[in-house]
Amino acid sequence: MKAKYSVVSVALVVLALLAGSGLVLAEVVTEHEPWQDQHLQADFQLPTGAVSPEELERIREYGEQLFKARFTREEGAGRPKATQAIIPTKRKRVSEFTFSRTAGLDAAACAGCHNEPKLGGAGDFAANVFVSEGFVNADFDSLDPQFSNERNSNHLFGAGLVELLAREMTTELHQLRQQALQQARRTQQAVKVELRTKGVSYGYLTAEPEGVVDLTALQGIDTDLIIRPFSQKGVFVSLRQFTINAMNQHHGMQAIERFGERWTGEADFDEDGIKNEMNAADISALVAWQASLPPPIQQQPADLKWQQAAARGEQIFHKIQCASCHIPALPLKSLSFTDPGGWDLAGTLRQGEQADAKLSYDFALQTWAKQLKRNEKGEFLIPLFGDLKRHVIADEKVAALGNELLSQRFVERDQFMTSELWGIASTAPYGHRGDQLTLNEIIQAHGGEGRAARDAYLALNDTERSSLIAYLKTLVIE
Amino acid sequence: MQALKILLATSACLVAPWLYAEEAKPSLQAAPMDLPVLQDETASSGINQQYTGPWEFFVGGGLAVLDCNQDRMPDVFIAGGEQPAKLYINASQPGQALVFKPQSLELEEQDLKQVTGAYPLDIDNDGFQDLVLLRVGRNILLKGGADCRFTKANKLWSYEGGNAWTTAFAASFEQGQNYPSLAFGNYVDRSAPGSPWGTCHENDLFRPSSKDQPDYHERTALAPGFCALSMLFTDWNKSGELSLRMTNDRQYYREGEEQLWRVPADNPPKLYSRSDGWQRVLIWGMGIAEGDLEGDGFPEYALTSMGDTRLQVLDDEAEEDRPIYKDIAYERQATAHRPYTGEDLRPSTGWHAEFDDVNNDTKLDLFIAKGNVEAMPDFAAFDPDNLLLGQWDKKFYEAGLAAGIALPRHGRGASLHDFNADGLLDLMVVNRKDPVSVFRNLGAKTAQGTQLMGNWLQIELAQHGSNRNAVGATIAIKTGVPSQIRRIQVGGGHASGESGFVHVGLGVAERATIRIQWPDGQWSAEYRVFANQFVLIKKDDPQVRYWYPQ
Repeated sequence: MKAKYSVVSVALVVLALLAGSGLVLAEVVTEHEPWQDQHLQADFQLPTGAVSPEELERIREYGEQLFKARFTREEGAGRPKATQAIIPTKRKRVSEFTFSRTAGLDAAACAGCHNEPKLGGAGDFAANVFVSEGFVNADFDSLDPQFSNERNSNHLFGAGLVELLAREMTTELHQLRQQALQQARRTQQAVKVELRTKGVSYGYLTAEPEGVVDLTALQGIDTDLIIRPFSQKGVFVSLRQFTINAMNQHHGMQAIERFGERWTGEADFDEDGIKNEMNAADISALVAWQASLPPPIQQQPADLKWQQAAARGEQIFHKIQCASCHIPALPLKSLSFTDPGGWDLAGTLRQGEQADAKLSYDFALQTWAKQLKRNEKGEFLIPLFGDLKRHVIADEKVAALGNELLSQRFVERDQFMTSELWGIASTAPYGHRGDQLTLNEIIQAHGGEGRAARDAYLALNDTERSSLIAYLKTLVIE
Repeated sequence: MQALKILLATSACLVAPWLYAEEAKPSLQAAPMDLPVLQDETASSGINQQYTGPWEFFVGGGLAVLDCNQDRMPDVFIAGGEQPAKLYINASQPGQALVFKPQSLELEEQDLKQVTGAYPLDIDNDGFQDLVLLRVGRNILLKGGADCRFTKANKLWSYEGGNAWTTAFAASFEQGQNYPSLAFGNYVDRSAPGSPWGTCHENDLFRPSSKDQPDYHERTALAPGFCALSMLFTDWNKSGELSLRMTNDRQYYREGEEQLWRVPADNPPKLYSRSDGWQRVLIWGMGIAEGDLEGDGFPEYALTSMGDTRLQVLDDEAEEDRPIYKDIAYERQATAHRPYTGEDLRPSTGWHAEFDDVNNDTKLDLFIAKGNVEAMPDFAAFDPDNLLLGQWDKKFYEAGLAAGIALPRHGRGASLHDFNADGLLDLMVVNRKDPVSVFRNLGAKTAQGTQLMGNWLQIELAQHGSNRNAVGATIAIKTGVPSQIRRIQVGGGHASGESGFVHVGLGVAERATIRIQWPDGQWSAEYRVFANQFVLIKKDDPQVRYWYPQ
């Protein structure tokens, strides 16, 4: 039984009264009080299949409502007996406080952190989160980096396009692996193949004739060849997975598809007294809202001097190899977004798992999609300024971005997903900890695989460096 | 007190069905977990084999799962009793219907007859799976070669084979040995005066006599024998020292009991006794399954019988050298004492037992093959196989009916194995006087059909030199806080063994870390793997490799 209020919420209280010779049952009906906080809609109808822009807008409205919601205990906020872990994990003891800046709950609403420059945006340093796997030492109350990795909040604009890119690239990588295996089996020779998709190389894979693949030469991707484009670390495959994780970690709102009876044996895993807190429709609405946020744009400055500097800066951006990782645009074949997608694993709704929860919406019908350029193949050019690949970003001499002590989900401590630069002018401060004040600072902090570009940047003269900054300052969230 | 326990234990077998008659029948609505759909593909599988024969073949009826053509798809060798055993090559496509093709064996037909069961292992460390055939009469060792060619190797490996009625087998590599020790469990000595009552044959242990080649000319008697129907080398106390557990059929022994042998390397085996804390348990022991239900490294054991199945866990009073067990089958709802469907409420007859995770939810499930011995009037005639699904409250949930395996066949040996490389465990059951059952796991039951179940891993271990398949190794699979434990073992079940990938369900975990305790006792470094992969781990290799089916 999902604990929600409908527009006319009715509670039945049965009172047994002794009256005269027999038992009299009285029915007391109470209605929902209009001043009560109410965010979840038990009667929200999620359509299935391909939805029209109008229907998508209705879903988005509900998604935005949930994104802004400051959930109440009656709705399920809080997780007294569950940790922040992505695998349902019990806490050893109930936390003394509902909120905690470290182990969580650390936000009353998604919007509490994702709000710069507007709803769905990034977060100030004040909105940093402390990422812990949540399995051991889940109840840390220290900022000491041995317990958690401190992370700044990313913006979500264009997130649906990012997921679509990752899906297409993952599909191509799996095709490459399959082709290599087929060739190896056919020729009885080992086949080494470069894992290159949309111009991004993820290293090499060697397929042996007996169907075995050697994984030692992969670069910047997990061994299952699934691109996980979300989070600073690149460890979430989809907005749906990210949303389920975040709702539990930050708000203690647990999705049935991960924390429900099927996978935990309990309808109230976090033992807050509320069963089945978020259903598939709630999560789908949140996904729809985030996925269809318009992508950031490159804004032509009104100032002529800025225009000229930005033009020079663009050339420098390429010349000093910033663009080797921050690729200005990646081609996307289709703007059709299905939820759930095809690469999620158990615990996040998968295709075919709940027939009435499969949505499809076409971003091409969104106004913002008209701004997307196309290449000669008709593919949409997604101007994300990224490569959806992880890189080592610190070295011995330039180590500022290697500050973390904990690896996360098998990703080493000094590796991070290339930050997409779209919207960067609107989302200071910078760096995965949000502790680099300016673009100049974050560029200078690049070590590891970014070291050569950083050194080249430092070798520029003041005007050239300023021009590069001028260019980056055109990448805004509208 | 002990006598009272025995009385209670014995009477439970007979009385329990009536006491428990009001227990709820399983239903889809009540199931708090994924119910697997096991589709019966017997008719289309290409497997055509039955286990038949007179009294000697009332017991036995096993199969061996092995990859005999090096394509990593599991093939099967199936006993036929008085009929010849048969080999079937797996021709299934990944995720598709289960298809097998018969493969002729260039062996004397008489050697393939009288077979009660079979176990695969690489005896001579040549990289090919060999086969141990348990027979009524001389046991046979088959040396495996390329393309599923097998040659009789009794002479080559100096194994005489005996002349007993062999019904159980287990093997393991003892410390310092290059070749495995082979233990054979024998049933009734038909030539003994008074047979069959009280005439159980001694059991045999053959330890390798040479480090240069398999040589099994030296027999060590494991006496007394109590008509063993299953045996398993196990490390019950995590000491690293092998023990040999036997489950025995009280139908024929006198003054017998369940047995646990201490098997110290380079020393004669010795029975654990009452002074060691070993308690006398009398059951119609048919099959052994080992699983680590608690995730603590100490194995639990399921023992099938007529009537109640036993589920044994170390008692609080147990110590490192005191194997004291208590039965938790009742509290875990795993007694499986009578048919769970149909009108026949007489006690069940359990045979093969196997733990694995059939619905990939991280909880070990227990499969039990069932079937009347022949026509025993006090026991159920319709006796469907059990699929007991492990639940989060540690109890088991009977899902045999919902899964589709509640068929009127007489089960004996069996195997839960992924025969079509889709990450879901399929099921093959050898039936007495009925066709071998072949069930394909289609996924979790829904109102519309089926859907995906939890994540999974399948793990293959290898090492150089001897014991190439790492028999005796422990695999610890960690997802978040809990670890699941799997062991590479040869033995147990009912006359049935399997080699190849070890399966583990991961539930919602997207990743797992794996550590191996290799047979030499060394723990590996941590391997990091992603879900839904076939993982190959070779000792001392720094990184795993993945295998993909064709």
